[in-house]
Amino acid sequence: MKSDVLNQLQKTTIFKNVTDEVLADVAIKASTRKLVKDEVLMRKGETGDSLFMIHDGWVKIVTEDSKGDELILNKCGPGETIGEMALLDGIPRSATVIAISDAEVLELKKDVFEEILEQRSDVSFAIIRSYSERLRFATTYIEKAIDWSQKTAEGDYSFAEQTQPLMDSAGSDNDKATQLLSAFYAMVRKVKAREDGLKQQLERLTFEIDQARRKQEFEEITGTEFYANLKEQARALRQKRAQE
Amino acid sequence: MNKGKIVSIHSFRGGTGKSNTTANLAAQVALAGKRVGVVDTDIQSPGIHVLFGLDENKMGKTMNDFLHGKASIREIGYSIGEHASGGEGREKLAGKNLWLFPSSIRGREISQILKEGVDFNLLNEGLQKTITEFDLDYLFIDTHPGLNEETLLSIATSDILIIILRPDNQDLQGTSVTVDIARSLDVPNLLLMVNKALPKYDFAELKKEIEVKFDAPVTGVLPLSFDLADNASNDLFSLRFPDHEWSKALRGVAEAVLAVE
Repeated sequence: MKSDVLNQLQKTTIFKNVTDEVLADVAIKASTRKLVKDEVLMRKGETGDSLFMIHDGWVKIVTEDSKGDELILNKCGPGETIGEMALLDGIPRSATVIAISDAEVLELKKDVFEEILEQRSDVSFAIIRSYSERLRFATTYIEKAIDWSQKTAEGDYSFAEQTQPLMDSAGSDNDKATQLLSAFYAMVRKVKAREDGLKQQLERLTFEIDQARRKQEFEEITGTEFYANLKEQARALRQKRAQE
Repeated sequence: MNKGKIVSIHSFRGGTGKSNTTANLAAQVALAGKRVGVVDTDIQSPGIHVLFGLDENKMGKTMNDFLHGKASIREIGYSIGEHASGGEGREKLAGKNLWLFPSSIRGREISQILKEGVDFNLLNEGLQKTITEFDLDYLFIDTHPGLNEETLLSIATSDILIIILRPDNQDLQGTSVTVDIARSLDVPNLLLMVNKALPKYDFAELKKEIEVKFDAPVTGVLPLSFDLADNASNDLFSLRFPDHEWSKALRGVAEAVLAVE
């Protein structure tokens, strides 16, 4: 069990640069919590003071839409971590988490985590480095998003065809920036598809000249004696006008 | 010697806004300082004289009387510049050199045309005489929709043919035949104008596609406008509402006409 916890901590973004030795120490201090189906693990607005790692079962992350109806943001299962940011910033929870099956989660309390930080400056630095990397990663994507927004506004969608978006399954390390860009790609493709659809409608309008009918009607009009005379007279007139 | 140009306005089907366009084009060209005449041969739609505010009862002799030697052209020409009233738009034509030459309007005269007919040389000589007598730079002819004999005569004598079409399949099909006829009759300048285009279309794209299709310039894509429909025949829309999108696009067509050498 504790080796599973260690494994999971290793995959958690903020612990990326922390040695296994320290993580083993952290793992020991994590406690197990059992949830029954529909039990609320955390509520939106509560002070966040723990990180949870799902060991078994599934939870949903929900908020409310403008009408007050439940809106599921994500579902998380075994191996995924929830609320890691709360260990550092202690900001109120941004969403509610509810078990959708019986589940078992491992909890790492903020005070336990802080105790480790106080004792080990190398761990503090490792965590700061992880955050820094994460910020740099996010910034890079924000810059790309700005660039792509400008291109989209100009009607240039070529980037959405050239670049393959990163679309991981929602793992614990699945960065929100990556999710944003996946959503961005999906949006651009849909916009482009709609635009193409409208253009096709236009093309259909202009590309349906029945050439056989065109030829037939032309021949009906030009095949008369009246027309032959008219054509001759018109030609003579144009020659006369050209000479004047 | 550079004589005035005959400009026929045609559309394959009715309802394209042809008479309205003709009246507004002629008015714009007159506003630009040119001497302009308008011949109304679209007797099926009670048309162009209404746009210029001319009362039917005031119309005496018509273009057909002139063509058949029953009247002089001076008797037919009705000066819009001298009678510019009854609308904010129309009033802008005061003092301009613009004449309307009404064609038949009453049923009796329609049957008369059918009986007597008008041949090409008679029509052409009549139009040339009209140009000379009034020293016109442009003589606009509002033709019948479709391609009957009288319309073919108008097309054959034209220096410029403007075909108005709506962006739909039937108009495109009919326009394709008219374009072929205009080329067969050696019309030197063929211009297209799209009217009543739904705003959901990309106008630039529409223009490009139609130009490629017919190998002729599209001089304007004019939007379908409820404002225009509301104004109906009360006034000359492009003079009354010069900043409207329809009016701006129409002026582009007028400029294309003025640009023809």
